[in-house]
Amino acid sequence: MKKITVAGLTIAALAAMVSMSAWAQPQGAASAPAEAQAASAMAAPAAAAPTSKQANRALRRKVYAAISKDKAINAGNISVRAKGGAVTLTGTVSDAAQIGKVEEIAKGVPGVTSVTNKLTVQKSFGGM
Amino acid sequence: MKLKFGSLAALVLFASAAHAQSSVTLYGVVDSGILYQNTSAANFSGTAKNLGSVWQLKDGGIYSSIWGLRGTEDIGGGYKINFKLQGSFTTNNGKPGLSDTPGATALFNQFATIGGSGWFGSIDAGRQIVPMIYAMSDTDVRGAQYFGSILTAWLGLNQAAGWPGTSTNAPIGALYDSNAIVYNSPKFYGASLALEYAPGGTPGQFQGGTRESAVLKYSNYGLNLAGVYYNGHDTNPFPANYPTAPAAPATGRNNNNFYYVGAMYTISGFSISGSFSSSNAQSLLSKATYNFEMISAGLGYQFSPAFKVTSGYYYLKDRNNSANHSSEVAVGAEYNLSKATKTYAQVGYVSNKGTMNQTIIYGAPVAPGRSTTAAMVGIRHAF
Repeated sequence: MKKITVAGLTIAALAAMVSMSAWAQPQGAASAPAEAQAASAMAAPAAAAPTSKQANRALRRKVYAAISKDKAINAGNISVRAKGGAVTLTGTVSDAAQIGKVEEIAKGVPGVTSVTNKLTVQKSFGGM
Repeated sequence: MKLKFGSLAALVLFASAAHAQSSVTLYGVVDSGILYQNTSAANFSGTAKNLGSVWQLKDGGIYSSIWGLRGTEDIGGGYKINFKLQGSFTTNNGKPGLSDTPGATALFNQFATIGGSGWFGSIDAGRQIVPMIYAMSDTDVRGAQYFGSILTAWLGLNQAAGWPGTSTNAPIGALYDSNAIVYNSPKFYGASLALEYAPGGTPGQFQGGTRESAVLKYSNYGLNLAGVYYNGHDTNPFPANYPTAPAAPATGRNNNNFYYVGAMYTISGFSISGSFSSSNAQSLLSKATYNFEMISAGLGYQFSPAFKVTSGYYYLKDRNNSANHSSEVAVGAEYNLSKATKTYAQVGYVSNKGTMNQTIIYGAPVAPGRSTTAAMVGIRHAF
């Protein structure tokens, strides 16, 4: 069972690496090698010990990267914790529809097996 | 038959026009509670007398009570036209909130804007809450609320710089600006920029009464960072006894400079924040100059989606006179009864020295130069 998750995570990490570097490519020559380097640095320990802190941190970073692509959601008010493939979301979003949206985005990240959603709504200054 | 077709065509045309109209939303919040405070004062003068303890029904324990109308029209091509009309009012007596002129109320004193948005971000023109306040709110665990927060601390600086509190025209920074044109950029990897320019509209004085501000924000990985620069010309021209005594004329003097950097980090239910601010001002009336420092720290914990506790510490220092300084602590608990209603309880303590009179809650002046404690319980409902 553990071996299967190892393989799964490795594949997920590799897939993410490929997609990340492919995505980073058009941004500019300077950022592309940096992204690829970061991805391979993350992938190496992930292959050795997938449930280690590094793997959790790598998954956490990937979830944040996915959330921050949404123009309306501020990922600075959201806490993402990853343990194995289980992700816990706490913190706040600026409207009720974003609670489900963040969960959906997190579930769509390769390597995420479950999402515990404890997000609440905090309207920006002057609101509810 | 032809007529029938004609009217049908007209009907279809109108129907599609109505569809393109998009929606208008009427919305608001009503917030009221009971406040106890062990000192009070009649005004924001640094030498005001202590009038003793006070029990009162108090509006706006979290933020002010408001109502407004907002709407968006999709004009195609990814562009939208947006408007927002929003005014604050006091639940105690139904009176509207402050405008930029003492003694005159404004129906939409918080927002009266029209603007557009699209790939470029958004531009809004009219009276509005300025970007610096959102930046401060995003980097304060207390969220720049009306009770013991970065907002009341910043207002404390304004009071120390001679703001009589009778209009929203402030000597240090601003909460609202009239005549403002505000640009908000889209986010790039969590980073965004907001720029404000408010032409003064003063005849013969290009710089007269203008406001300029810039805010740089970052929001990703559980971290909010914000940097603020605010600059105003001819700010706070009104004496405390206006209109008996006249306002100072606009001469284009740069007399309001506010700088702020802040950060807030959120992880596993905990939030922690800190900020540093420097500001200077010059009174148009007395020509006195002011130079202040403000430091904040905050810590909060979300126990469950319905219940959270937040706390903050705020320190003000007068760089021109070391006798004037102020420290405040505030703790608040908020419990959500439903998605639209919350109850809250909060306690604050402020130690004011010299002529400082940092308040605990907006709208309830404290006696300068001494310690004050305040407690409030209240309810806030959105519609």
